[in-house]
Amino acid sequence: MSTHHISTFATLMSVAGTLLVLTFLTVAVTWINIPEPFNVVVAIAIAILKAALVAMFFMNLYWDSKFNTVVFLMSILFLIIFVSITLLDTMFRDAGLPVY
Amino acid sequence: MGNQIAEKEKPSHLQHHFVDSDQQFESSKFGMWIFLVTEILMFGGLFVAYIIYRSWHPDLFYLAAKELDTALGATNTVVLIASSLTIALAIRAVQLDKIKAAINYMAATVVLAGTFMVIKYFEYTDKFAKGILPGAGYTYDGIAHDMAANFFSIYYMMTGLHGIHVVIGMGLIIWMIVKAKKGAVHSGYYTPVENTGLFWHLVDIIWIFLFPLLYLID
Repeated sequence: MSTHHISTFATLMSVAGTLLVLTFLTVAVTWINIPEPFNVVVAIAIAILKAALVAMFFMNLYWDSKFNTVVFLMSILFLIIFVSITLLDTMFRDAGLPVY
Repeated sequence: MGNQIAEKEKPSHLQHHFVDSDQQFESSKFGMWIFLVTEILMFGGLFVAYIIYRSWHPDLFYLAAKELDTALGATNTVVLIASSLTIALAIRAVQLDKIKAAINYMAATVVLAGTFMVIKYFEYTDKFAKGILPGAGYTYDGIAHDMAANFFSIYYMMTGLHGIHVVIGMGLIIWMIVKAKKGAVHSGYYTPVENTGLFWHLVDIIWIFLFPLLYLID
């Protein structure tokens, strides 16, 4: 049955190995000076790649009913809406920075 | 009569309102994903706070992140990735009816989660000793920035809420070990182990974002 996917030992090990390599990479890119804002972009890009690997192969979204993936991505979508609408306020205040 | 015979063939784990084990498994897992969505949005609030403060005070984040120990943060990242691997291996073992191996993998996960919390404890106490406490308790004067306390309030809220999730995850995994020892989970029914695994992987994913955002600001 497609709903009961059993991952092979090799798959799980290679996903974990890739995650460790990416962890090293995310630390290593701080040793070279990437100019703002690209250092943040690189850090987040690596984090997204790692999160995607965990979600797809550890949380089995790759083999699951695609509905679970849709639910997961909806939460990300709403998070992006949350962030962007709040930033539309806080980034463009005329009165300058608040005291906090 | 036919219905009664079908009733007898039903496995003990199958609740009466589901057609079969697969539908029960899928529904339960879907419910878990809905819960994970609420978790993402709860942490989302803290990520929004982080993003706004960083956009207001980028210099503060650069200065304050130097107070955090990158080596300990990286070690904890490796520990959590290893724990995600062991819980995934535990689920695989249950699916293959290797219950003894599954218990060992789950025990390893609990040990790794404990390691994470011990490292976090040393990080926190080190900061408390310097007077780096959240909010009004902040007395450290090593960071030349008026808003320094705010960075650490965000730091403590994000890592603190994450730490609570690690402890809850440890509790859930211990509960699964007990279930496995009782023989309550096997290849035909491993839904609780699967859902605990999903929770644990989400805790890992959140740390994957916290680590570069808090420790690796250069």
